[in-house]
Amino acid sequence: MKRRSLSGTGSLGAWLALAASLQVYGCAPTPSQDLFALTEAQMKLRSFQTRTFDVKDRQLALRGVIAVLQDLGFIIERANEPLGLVTAARFSEPNYLEIVGVTVTVRPQADGRMMIRANAIHNNKPIEDPKIYQNFFASLERSLFITKE
Amino acid sequence: MRGSRGWARVVLGLALLGLSSGCVTVPPEEIFQLSPESPKNRAIQTRMFQTSNEKELLSASAATLQDLGFEIEESVWDVGFLRAAKERSAREWGQHIGRFFVLAATFGYVLMPIDLHQKIAATLVARPLNQERSRHEVRIMFYRVVWKGEGYVERSGIPPGEQKSEMIRDPVLYQQFFAKLSKAVFLEAHKI
Repeated sequence: MKRRSLSGTGSLGAWLALAASLQVYGCAPTPSQDLFALTEAQMKLRSFQTRTFDVKDRQLALRGVIAVLQDLGFIIERANEPLGLVTAARFSEPNYLEIVGVTVTVRPQADGRMMIRANAIHNNKPIEDPKIYQNFFASLERSLFITKE
Repeated sequence: MRGSRGWARVVLGLALLGLSSGCVTVPPEEIFQLSPESPKNRAIQTRMFQTSNEKELLSASAATLQDLGFEIEESVWDVGFLRAAKERSAREWGQHIGRFFVLAATFGYVLMPIDLHQKIAATLVARPLNQERSRHEVRIMFYRVVWKGEGYVERSGIPPGEQKSEMIRDPVLYQQFFAKLSKAVFLEAHKI
């Protein structure tokens, strides 16, 4: 019974994280002092990771995000409608050791449009390649467009 | 004898190489690009139902997963989301036999780890397909995580607990799920 409860809630993420941490074990840098400092690079990263869409209905946008993640082969792990939050993960096939995790937030802006932010992690390392985020938003745009019909 | 020992080293070396390769991987650019297989996967994983009752569809989905032995781990009604899992033994005779032959062929130098335990999980999303909410689609994805037992190569032991994760792609499993679900909601499940 104890075993069950241990491997129960949210265990996929934990196992994926464990597997990914085994992968990068040995090349992890020591934590630096500026871990929480807002650097210019982080500001740039935030702009890659964020895009505003002309969608008024937040739930529609959130469902669109979920649908596109599923199309991309991601497993939806958690979703929180009031907060507009979706967490998903994927094993890269056919190499089962590679893991991609992504968190997407959908937040309405003052003008009623939706601001969507994606943070992706590849084998426990944040993805900082703007091209990858461009691809995500291109896929999302298509999905939202279809959902709108 | 020398030959088999050398061979064992090569296998071990390759295994270590595989482990250390995690340090140098760069995220592939196509992570968020639709793959050529994605329409096929979508068709296998999705069915359309002519109903406006999303609540009934989602609760019947949960009941169907329960009938199949799954425990519901997470449910979010507002976005029509369910996640469920079950744990089972992953032992297969084929692997036992394969392990025996490798052991015999290497004169007892290599004991391959075999699959011991697995967690089979599913995530399901139901969503309306049109503005009137008169049609809904249900998409389910099955996947599994398998844990291996222990083994050894020459004198170095391979600890138990190595795991692999994979998507379950067998269309028959998906057909079985949707057949049960359509019976539960008294509706026909349309392929998309």
